[in-house]
Amino acid sequence: MTVKFNNRDPVYVQVIRHFKEQIAKGYFEPGQEIPSRRELANQLKINPNTAQRAYKEMEEQGLIFTEGNMPSCITKDEAVLKSVREELIIEAVDLFLGSIKSIDVPLSEVLELVKKKHDAESGEAEESK
Amino acid sequence: MIEVKNVEKKYGRKRVLKGLSFTAEKGEITCLIGINGVGKTTIMKAIMALTPINSGEILIDGKKIRKESFEKVTFIPDTITMLPQMKICDAFSFMADFYKNWDPQRAEELLQFFKLDPTERIANLSKGNMAKVNMILGLALNVDYLLMDEPFSGIDIFSREQIAEVFTSHLIEDRGVIITTHEISDIEHLIDRAVLIDNGEVLKEFSVEEVREKEGKSVVDVMREVYRG
Repeated sequence: MTVKFNNRDPVYVQVIRHFKEQIAKGYFEPGQEIPSRRELANQLKINPNTAQRAYKEMEEQGLIFTEGNMPSCITKDEAVLKSVREELIIEAVDLFLGSIKSIDVPLSEVLELVKKKHDAESGEAEESK
Repeated sequence: MIEVKNVEKKYGRKRVLKGLSFTAEKGEITCLIGINGVGKTTIMKAIMALTPINSGEILIDGKKIRKESFEKVTFIPDTITMLPQMKICDAFSFMADFYKNWDPQRAEELLQFFKLDPTERIANLSKGNMAKVNMILGLALNVDYLLMDEPFSGIDIFSREQIAEVFTSHLIEDRGVIITTHEISDIEHLIDRAVLIDNGEVLKEFSVEEVREKEGKSVVDVMREVYRG
């Protein structure tokens, strides 16, 4: 598990995003145990205080839960997990729309291109398998 | 907490520290940033009482530094202070003789982490490996505070990465660290607080995550504003 951090967003926010991406991809299953704060700091090469902060925030957002002295786990709440995926998709679409807007192209042209590119890429992926 | 309050230091007629103040908390990594010659090393020496100060006060957990304080706080200078003909294991037993707080198990763990051979003579080590041994001598002491002077300067990128990795581990956790550097990029993600120093004065002191969160600025962005703005 490695993450490339940028210098301008708080590291803890980037860590949370990393977890959300893993959840959306289905890499983390509902109720799955996650690394301890100390392990996470070591894996991601971050300050243990930052790992602590990220976990605290994720707990407040309901993404993870901790029972007593047990290791923290990914939430089992389907609604939360679904909203994580949606949130990431909407974010990506917004970003895309933002960059499209600045070059002023009609949506139909763009959508066709997106589909073509996407098909070509997934075709390549199929072949390489 | 280490409190540096209004410290003034002169070398002859030259004022090196001009009423400098900052604090460093336990459990946090505080980075003193500034170009060469702004007084970073002098501050560390002053905290360790290795050099007298002309005025001001330095407190460690509310107390002035005494003989017993050296079991509580340690200084890792930018060059190794052991005799060059010593083997690494000799240097370790030297430390064990001098400090009650020397933790041989932790020293062993660090040797393995850095992949060093204890029978190697210090004089024969590469610069990077010498820096690593120097780090071990400080890190294997069970102290609450560690002062590190330019641990990354003049060594190769992989050694730098290895040393930086120490900061993400239990070897540092819960301790207070003050580190000086003029090359922030190695540890930008790892520090809690930054203290920007120029000309013997603190120009700005801030929490790095807070500045990223509230202003969307990196440490280097803030440095550019402060030093060049």
